[in-house]
Amino acid sequence: MTPAIDIGDLSFAHGDAKTPALSAVTLSVEPGATLALLGPSGAGKTTLLTLLDGRLRDWRGRVAVLGAALAPEHAPARRHRADTGFIFQEFALVERSSVLRNVLNGRLGRMSGARALIGRPAAHDTDIARRALKDCGIADLADRRVDSLSGGQRQRVAIARCLAQEPQLILADEPVSNLDPARASDILGLLTEAGRARGATTVFSSHQPELARRFADRVVGMRNGRVLFDLPATELTGDDEAALYLDDDPALAARLQVVR
Amino acid sequence: MARRGYSGFLAGVLIGAAVLWSFVTTEVEFGRLLSAGPRIADFIGRMFPPDPTVTAEIIKGSAETLRIAILGTLGAVAMSVPLGILASDTMAPAAIHRPLRSLLAVVRAVPLILVAMLMVGAVGLGPLPGIIAVAFHATGMLAKFYAEAIDGVARAPLEALESAGAGPLARLRYAIWPQMAPVVARDTIFRFELNLRESLILGIVGAGGIGFYIQTYVRSFQYDKAASVTIAVVVMVVAIEALNVLLRRRVS
Repeated sequence: MTPAIDIGDLSFAHGDAKTPALSAVTLSVEPGATLALLGPSGAGKTTLLTLLDGRLRDWRGRVAVLGAALAPEHAPARRHRADTGFIFQEFALVERSSVLRNVLNGRLGRMSGARALIGRPAAHDTDIARRALKDCGIADLADRRVDSLSGGQRQRVAIARCLAQEPQLILADEPVSNLDPARASDILGLLTEAGRARGATTVFSSHQPELARRFADRVVGMRNGRVLFDLPATELTGDDEAALYLDDDPALAARLQVVR
Repeated sequence: MARRGYSGFLAGVLIGAAVLWSFVTTEVEFGRLLSAGPRIADFIGRMFPPDPTVTAEIIKGSAETLRIAILGTLGAVAMSVPLGILASDTMAPAAIHRPLRSLLAVVRAVPLILVAMLMVGAVGLGPLPGIIAVAFHATGMLAKFYAEAIDGVARAPLEALESAGAGPLARLRYAIWPQMAPVVARDTIFRFELNLRESLILGIVGAGGIGFYIQTYVRSFQYDKAASVTIAVVVMVVAIEALNVLLRRRVS
């Protein structure tokens, strides 16, 4: 079966940065998997997810998303963009628009150009948007303006927008780092459940090992732009976590290499 | 600190020199000001009481000025929407938005009264040259304001729509427009107020509106009638400013 994500020897550096944001990353994700990218800030998680979403240029290596190769020179074709949904750490909602309008914005990549710009949205699109709102538990907020919502409600709107897009791959960049712990579990549970229910592949990044262990099937540890480990979630140990978060310890790093 | 003291001193000398130069070369004779006293008193005396018989002219002139401001603003908005989009960093490449911004700066620099005089020459007397002049002059400012409103929106929602596969016009419609709408409303109301104030004098060069009557009555020494028109102008300016404040409070 074609992997949902297939990355070979990928490297990337931001503009004039001296150290690369990603170094020799190789990773393959099977369709339908729920994968956590675990690592401290600056590990390259956001860079990797943004790159997979087709929003970075000038990288080196081989990247295929949902069977289609990405090109480092240009953005993916519009018809491919809707297949990959992205959930932003800071929600990225239009504050002055209604909740329903924000969720309908997720449908724009699926509408014809003229339909997107003029007239009322088609009943079909509105139905999908309303179902996404219901799945996210915020059907009653449809007509509220986003700037009147709490952080947890906003992230639910952002997830609903992503689901309305009907993506086969969901990329979520630190989707719960702005929320309190109880809310974080609720939202991440909602997101991974929705992904599984739709048969989509879900990749979320986090710096919290317990969330990765609890909600993902597979955990990929990243540090300094490199993949440090790639394990089933059930096999994630304290040593692995230490390797990600403790100061550089050559002995520990060497031991991890041996273990793998 | 020493550097700052030095540049402060330099600025003082420059300003002093500029003021001195203006006084000396303009040949300001304060004596003339003193002897003008009785004449100014006579002038003011002849303004009172203001002549109320010109009410019909005032209403006619004010209505025309208002129409010039409304249609001039409408014309400016119609031109500023496409030009504002093309002058924005977000929507247009540098090869287009940079030269366009320079062009708009030139348009802004041409005084309204000069444009009006040229337009009177081109299309003849009446409100039409006034409307064209106001539209032209206001576009220089309004298109720049619209471009800045586009560039001033939060980028994240734009990126989100791009990620979802929305095209550039759909991004403008659903991510940029909702964010910039209050700014556009505020800027347009502000520009309408300026247009009304500035079009009050257009009649002096024959470009329509109430200015025509001020010109006529002052030239023919009918100061009591000129006074009535002046009062009407002041009332109009105060009213439009009050309306502007009211509208701005509602836009958020």
